[in-house]
Amino acid sequence: MTNVSADLIWEVARLQNAFLVKRKASGGVQFSRDPLNLLNVHSRKHAGFVNDKALGVVAGENGAIQVISKKTSAANKPASARTVSTVGASKANRKTYKAIARQVAKSGYRADLRQAAVARASALRAAQRPVKPTPEPKLRGNAAKRAAEKSE
Amino acid sequence: MASRPTVTVLGADGKATGATEVLPKVFSAPIRPDIVKHVHTGMAKNKRQPYSVSEKAGHQTSAESWGTGRAVARIPRVSGGGTHRAGQAAFGNMCRSGRMFAPTKIWRKWHVKVNQGQKRFATASALAASAVAPLLMARGHQVSTVPEVPLVVDSSAFTAASKTAGAISLLNAVGAGPELEKVKASRKLRAGKGKLRGRRHRQRRGPLVVYSAAADGKDLVLGFRNVPGVETSPVDALNLLQLAPGGHLGRFVIWTSAAIKELDTVYESKKGYFLPSNVVANADLTRLINSSEIQSVLRAPKGEAKTRRGNVQKKNPLRNKQVLLRLNPYASTFAKEKLGEVKAEGKPVRVTSDFLGQLNE
Repeated sequence: MTNVSADLIWEVARLQNAFLVKRKASGGVQFSRDPLNLLNVHSRKHAGFVNDKALGVVAGENGAIQVISKKTSAANKPASARTVSTVGASKANRKTYKAIARQVAKSGYRADLRQAAVARASALRAAQRPVKPTPEPKLRGNAAKRAAEKSE
Repeated sequence: MASRPTVTVLGADGKATGATEVLPKVFSAPIRPDIVKHVHTGMAKNKRQPYSVSEKAGHQTSAESWGTGRAVARIPRVSGGGTHRAGQAAFGNMCRSGRMFAPTKIWRKWHVKVNQGQKRFATASALAASAVAPLLMARGHQVSTVPEVPLVVDSSAFTAASKTAGAISLLNAVGAGPELEKVKASRKLRAGKGKLRGRRHRQRRGPLVVYSAAADGKDLVLGFRNVPGVETSPVDALNLLQLAPGGHLGRFVIWTSAAIKELDTVYESKKGYFLPSNVVANADLTRLINSSEIQSVLRAPKGEAKTRRGNVQKKNPLRNKQVLLRLNPYASTFAKEKLGEVKAEGKPVRVTSDFLGQLNE
């Protein structure tokens, strides 16, 4: 539609939208639940539903990372407006970041989101790492050792 | 004028039939949330029923003030004796079983007149916003499975929608399934007294099905009326309260192909009315700036690109060679020829006594 631009949509949806989360804590923080928002903050730059080009980095199945992007050609066709590319779990971290950075910035899609996209992918990788079991606490001092022997 | 955008018509199976409809003119109306909000607040007030407390409430006693001198406040007090009520304060809004402050009256100004031009502007604006997918998402509609916005479904598909089962399967086929699920999951018990007053539950609004009463008939209304969240409206009686609930733009509207065909004639039949137009026809500023019309009349940029560096760290020219060279280009020659290491030739000349005399003067 020629009568609508991303700036207009932002002005209409800035004060209230379904993704906006407002909290009175920390001086009234504003977050966004938009899946195409890399930082989950309520801002013009990161509002995925507003911008013609936007990115989402989400966890896929079996430790994979999915990079979602919007097609500018299908702005009013929601069902076909998204492309999803997957980076498998077996890919090394640095190569994952490089692949995402290439897709985001090198191809001229949204160079301003490169850092945020890589940071989110990194956070996902860190979260996907299996949690180490906490080691059994060592006995400290002779008194504790003696007490442990006695109880056996 | 450029060619008007078209919209594909979906069939009963949710696939494109191949037919297209020209998008009615109203979809290029300006999107003005300020006008829509203002008109909505006015219109939403016009369905209210008057309420008030009883005219007699708090005044059904013959209380009179005791006046001064009895060491009690001068508020009217209930007369008589033999009951606890006697001698208690009455009437005042601060009194137990007194009247409320400024009792509500049924002749409050309940209704607001909204100018017809403003109502039409707001409706046109809300219709235009219903064709913008991001605004639908911002309103909370689950449209990610919808093939196209505005969603136009062939009128013939609605014959099956005279029964609710057919209506639901049609909505699922055209990608409105997640929206129906959202509405169903959103049903909550209302907070407060509204529960007792016929407003027991509250739930989200789902899609609005707009049909042409002449071409589609009214059977589909019966089919859709028991689907939670779904509303229907004939195309010649579109209502802002349905197109922008809560004054928020971007209702998810499902059009029958007959309705979208009729929409232009609906607006043309309004005598002496012209649809509002945009001040700026193309709202995409980046596209305007990068257009060949603008770029062709701009002069080439002067000079080269310069980066102004403010607030950077000061570099020590005695340690940093590049900074030294910038300040003193001769330094490189000086260093290369090792002029600093060259010994003075010949013996030093003794200082004359004249000079010493002058120095020590």
